[in-house]
Amino acid sequence: MSGIIDVSNIIYSYIPVAIILVVAFLMPPVTMFLVKQLSPRSKSPVKYETYEAGSVPTGSARIQFNVEYYLYAIAFVLFDIEVLFLYPWATIFREPSITIIATIEMLIFIFVVLFGYLYLIKKEALKWQK
Amino acid sequence: MINLTLLAPELTLIGTGLAVLLIGLFLGTNAKKILGYLASLGVLVSLVLVLMSLGREDMLFNDTLSFDALSQFFKLVFLSVALLVSIASIKYTEGNSHTEEFYSLMIFATAGMMFVASANDLIVLFVAFELASLATYALAGFEKKNPISLEASIKYFMIGSLSAALMLFGISFIYGATGTTSIPGVAENIDLLLGSPMGLLSAVLMIAGLGFKIALVPFHMWAPDTYQGSPSVVSSLLAAGSKKMGFVAAFKVFMIALIALQAEWTTAFAVLAVITMTLGNVVALSQTSVKRMLAYSSVAQAGYIAMAFVVMSKTALAGAILYALSHGFMKAGAFIATAAVVYMVLSEKKDSETPDDIDNFRGLGRRMPVTALCMTIFLFALAGIPLTAGYMSKFVLFASTIEAGLVWLAVIAILNSAISLFYYAKVVKYMYFLPSDGEKITEPIPYTFAMLIAVIFVLVIGFWSEPFLYWAMEAAKVLI
Repeated sequence: MSGIIDVSNIIYSYIPVAIILVVAFLMPPVTMFLVKQLSPRSKSPVKYETYEAGSVPTGSARIQFNVEYYLYAIAFVLFDIEVLFLYPWATIFREPSITIIATIEMLIFIFVVLFGYLYLIKKEALKWQK
Repeated sequence: MINLTLLAPELTLIGTGLAVLLIGLFLGTNAKKILGYLASLGVLVSLVLVLMSLGREDMLFNDTLSFDALSQFFKLVFLSVALLVSIASIKYTEGNSHTEEFYSLMIFATAGMMFVASANDLIVLFVAFELASLATYALAGFEKKNPISLEASIKYFMIGSLSAALMLFGISFIYGATGTTSIPGVAENIDLLLGSPMGLLSAVLMIAGLGFKIALVPFHMWAPDTYQGSPSVVSSLLAAGSKKMGFVAAFKVFMIALIALQAEWTTAFAVLAVITMTLGNVVALSQTSVKRMLAYSSVAQAGYIAMAFVVMSKTALAGAILYALSHGFMKAGAFIATAAVVYMVLSEKKDSETPDDIDNFRGLGRRMPVTALCMTIFLFALAGIPLTAGYMSKFVLFASTIEAGLVWLAVIAILNSAISLFYYAKVVKYMYFLPSDGEKITEPIPYTFAMLIAVIFVLVIGFWSEPFLYWAMEAAKVLI
């Protein structure tokens, strides 16, 4: 029985990956070495600021975000991903044999997502409390 | 037009889950009690729908879901456990403002388990597995203010995600070599995996990934902590339901897809089964927390069921499948009985840190007679005393092991069974023979009701096991 993928050749198809791997390992040291050799070096107090050509940073870099921010972020990511499911639907939607059933399925899906939104509002997850 | 009537149980269940979640939003805390009844009703309807579809066989959605005797049998196991848990939880969630989340998560977990039972494609299997897992991670940490519950949830989540990653890695190797994720398709193209190191690697990864869910030793570390820390009703869903999901997935992956690699994985399962049952039973001996003891006993029972992967005969598989059903009732019942005791202890001493300690079972025969009697029956059934479900399933499983010529394995299993009687009987001794100065307690009706249903089934399967054994045989025929 012949398979779908020829296993005996599978190793050879990875040769380009191996080349990229070698190049990737060589690239940083080589370029860093070249930059060090070629670039002029200057030392001044401005050089050691966080943003050499930008505004002067204020306060500590370690600040705590309000935990509610993450609730927003998670809710956003969820709905963002849900929209992704609309793309495959949109590409086949015009085929006559599938239009009705696909629309019904998508409506069910959207309603389930809508339930989630309702849940978020009711649970006051989107209310910013200080 | 595809035949959606076969999918009716799952659709009912998911509909109930959404309805519970939505209705709960508009109810006050005290009125949320009806959600428990609603959820139990939904699970019951779904159970009846599965019973009505018994004997029908079909494939849905481009052969990604298969409906056969095996999937229907396991769906019955999951739904029975879910029914017991949801009835018992009516009491547990009383006065809790998050009742709707509890029930909808429990229902979605059950739906995930049912889809695992039907899955005929590795991707569908994985997604359904994750549906059930994610819902149970949240359930394990349901007592948000209780650090032990949170610890249980985090441990379960960490190890669960690791095992999911391993499983997905295994699936990717199988797909890479055979070019398909369909379970029968993998079996057809198995030549491509045979003899290549990828086959061995994917079998090992799948054993590890599924072994975590089943809690086979050495992948069991999370189980005692999680079962002990989670709310008792959730432990009962985890031990009785989620573990069986691991088994049905393992049956599908190993017995159907990777059957040609049998030589590779049989030895692994033989070693794992022996270590699992021995370690589970020996460690359970010294536990003082009843939930932890039940957790280790659950690990040990997984070892018995895993024997079916070694014996590989139709009778052995039927025994394992019957064991899954009986263990579902016994273990769910035992955890619910513990939940009743925990409820009793907490209602007397609000900030007790070890409400499931064996000392709290002192004199339970007098304080909570029905709970104590049910607990005794569950414990004896778990030990495999005749006339209970545990005996019948152990008998079929062990007899088939001897029949297959694996006498050494059967001897180890029987010795282990004897060890286990010690720690089960210890709880019975505490309940009936040690005095306590506590008052007699009115037993909470939902817990009692759930326990009585479980007791009836434990005894019915023990006394009149032919129809159940026949079902299990039909289910085993799907695999071999």
